[in-house]
Amino acid sequence: MSRLRHASDRAFTIVAYGSIFLMVAALGIILGPMILRGSTAVIFRGTVEWRRMQLERFERGDPERLREELEAVTAARAPLYAKLEEFQQGLDAERQIAAARRIFREYRDEMQARGLERQTIAQYRRDLRQVRDALTAAYETQDAVEALAHLDAADAWRGDERFMGTVAEEYFRRVDAYRQVVRSVDLERREVYLEDLNEVREALAQLLGPLPGDPPPALPMNQYGATRWDQAEPALQRLLYRVEWEPADNGEMLVQRLVPRRKAFEGTVLAGLFDVVEQDITSMLNPRWTFYPQFFTDPTRSNHFFGGIGDEVLGTLLLTLVCMLIATPLGIVSAAYLAEAREDHLFVRVLRTCINSLAGVPSIVFGLFGLAFFVLWFLPGGALIPRFEVAGRAFGPVNWPGFGLSRESSILAGGLTLAVLVLPVIIRASEEAIRAVPQTYKEASLALGAGRLRAFVTVILPAALPGILTGIILSLSRAAGETAPILFTAVFAIGPRPGSVTQPTAALSYGSFMIATADNIGPMVPHKQYGMIMTLILLVLVLNVLAILLRSRAARKLRGQ
Amino acid sequence: MGRRMTQLNDHPAASIARASRALTLTPGQDLAGYILSLAGRMVVLTITSTSILSILLIFYFVIRESLPFLSEWGAGELIVGREWYPTARPASFGGLPLIVGSLYVTGIAILIAGPLGILAAALLSDIVSFRVRQWAKPIIELLAAIPSVAYGFFAILLVAPWLQETLGMDSGRNALNAGVMLAIMALPTIVSISEDSLTAVGRELREASYGLGATRAETVLKVVIPAGRGGIIAAVILGIMRAIGETMVVWMAAGNAAAIPSPWYDLSSSVRTMTATIAAEMGETPRHTDHYYALFAIGALLLGFTFVLNMVSDYFLGRSRRTGRAKVGK
Repeated sequence: MSRLRHASDRAFTIVAYGSIFLMVAALGIILGPMILRGSTAVIFRGTVEWRRMQLERFERGDPERLREELEAVTAARAPLYAKLEEFQQGLDAERQIAAARRIFREYRDEMQARGLERQTIAQYRRDLRQVRDALTAAYETQDAVEALAHLDAADAWRGDERFMGTVAEEYFRRVDAYRQVVRSVDLERREVYLEDLNEVREALAQLLGPLPGDPPPALPMNQYGATRWDQAEPALQRLLYRVEWEPADNGEMLVQRLVPRRKAFEGTVLAGLFDVVEQDITSMLNPRWTFYPQFFTDPTRSNHFFGGIGDEVLGTLLLTLVCMLIATPLGIVSAAYLAEAREDHLFVRVLRTCINSLAGVPSIVFGLFGLAFFVLWFLPGGALIPRFEVAGRAFGPVNWPGFGLSRESSILAGGLTLAVLVLPVIIRASEEAIRAVPQTYKEASLALGAGRLRAFVTVILPAALPGILTGIILSLSRAAGETAPILFTAVFAIGPRPGSVTQPTAALSYGSFMIATADNIGPMVPHKQYGMIMTLILLVLVLNVLAILLRSRAARKLRGQ
Repeated sequence: MGRRMTQLNDHPAASIARASRALTLTPGQDLAGYILSLAGRMVVLTITSTSILSILLIFYFVIRESLPFLSEWGAGELIVGREWYPTARPASFGGLPLIVGSLYVTGIAILIAGPLGILAAALLSDIVSFRVRQWAKPIIELLAAIPSVAYGFFAILLVAPWLQETLGMDSGRNALNAGVMLAIMALPTIVSISEDSLTAVGRELREASYGLGATRAETVLKVVIPAGRGGIIAAVILGIMRAIGETMVVWMAAGNAAAIPSPWYDLSSSVRTMTATIAAEMGETPRHTDHYYALFAIGALLLGFTFVLNMVSDYFLGRSRRTGRAKVGK
């Protein structure tokens, strides 16, 4: 019996320790990954595309060194693009035909520039047309023998002195290249290749930036390749493998399977491209460890694709600043009153109940209140009590002039809402701090002839200040982290930097929510997602650790150690 | 000699002796001082009343904005209606799925956080040394300080994929995910308030129990926790309030399907809470429409709910404080 009791006692102790351990583990499991992954927003391996983007979009970096780097990178990429170009010749008939027509026009221009007569040029071009048509026919056919015959026909003109040394010489280079292609590529499978080729081109553009010869893309996010090495790796994966979905054994779920793209292009010149990319990707992108502290101050670009979180940081700081400017004085005065007041007074009891209720109001209800009160009524003005009739006599409406703001969300409205939210936090912490000051301090100062106000301001307040400061810091962190109260009162997802407190703003908390739930952009920039939440967490953690340290120091000091 | 004289004249006592001010106040000065201190008190009182004013304004404005809905549709629809289709034509504003959703995730959270929190509180108050306690309390405080959006972020980007891939759930955004997150968020509240009330139980009871030969587990479970039950009940109620009023985590993690889980024990079903509904829909709702008023009515319901819970927890806290004080006093 007694052994059982001791065993159960031991078990109880272990379970209890387990509960605390769980909590500490939860803290680590929750914060660890977010902070670790978040730090990749600031420290990461930036590629040459990153440095190009920084120079072009943020005017940061050394243009001279970038130019040298770009030259080296272009040289490294050249064989790859050459292979791509060579392969495309065989496939993309339309593109090739367009090129052939372009050369034909350019030839005329060149001859005109040389000062030849119209009739001569026309005669030259009649012959050249035969070359062009033969080449075009070769491009168009899907039969290899026929294509070779057309190529031979075109080749008959090789060495003609009217064409050699001019732009038309290009035709014969193309004839050679295409002869190569016809021998290696199965022309009948052209359509199949073309589909794959488009995917390859897309993946290449994501990896290395726009392909040479392509028109510059309109969206900034398409104007650069993988700016970060951690983005380059999935892009490389997409380039090397095609994802296929196939039903699993149970027939319900689809399972993804990676198929090497190389297989599709086996035996063609393009098969070599995959080897080249895999081997030389580092020299093509030149990744280098990069420290990017401007992440915290740079404005966002291209809907969070580039840039930092400067707007969000600024918005959060402004919101908490407005909030604290209002809540701090109100809170300290209330706390001073409560600390001095007699407990059994009815007013004090009502006051305490109200403060407790205020602390228990759900944050989303603060949001509703902020919308109905600050945004729609207090700041713009309006009717407090609508017109009503009692016993046939009309009363009201009772109007409030307001401050002339529009009925839209603003930093001011958000800050005021947050101030109401943190008021109980400040009051409780400050009251505790004031009560912790020994009664003798007050008695001594009153005995020396100080009034109650003077005793409070010059003696009690300084002694209680560390504790009050702790409360202020804690409410600051609370205000910075809240999302629900500012949803309808102060924030937007993307917009200009606010010029004054009467405008809405971006904020870290809301921004983290948006970037975590937005399906279009979020998954493309995980470093940004985690970077934003990391910034918010670090802000709150630093404030809280500061508050804890301050409080333990204050407690030691008041104990006289 | 001359130097000594100057020093003597500079002495504060000397200047007081030379002072021409009368030692008694004139009636005018007396009155001015009285009025000044009265005015000061009025100012302090006015500022202090901000809290009272705030809570009154919150009630007034939230209820005022929900009245148009209540007068047109009635409170019954909001509480027992099963269809929440606010943008359909004709719209229906049945709030039951939302209320059930809120209670569902809160229930999961409290079933996890309640026992765990009370155990942890007992550990902190009765088992570990002062040093460990000094370390553990700030860590629990940090858990409380992490912004709710961070918990939500963790829930959808790390927990949800894990639930989906490892446990094979259809969607990782479900009641279980949100409930576990809410449990972690409610834990600090439950632990710190329970711990306060367990510590307040006092040495005498513990020593008496040990003196009778009880083990530590028996002392904690049969003596300390029953003695501190008022505070523990208050702590659990405050934990419930924290969970039911939480917005961001449930909005992000609970899946947002306005349906009652069926079968009821299916934790992997998607639910939608009252808070998440307000947060998700208010932004896109034109002002002063039925939908807008309905969302305010949900807010009023939530406000009333937490207000009552708060009163109950205040009652239990007050009772536990009184009994604690009585025990120490006598």
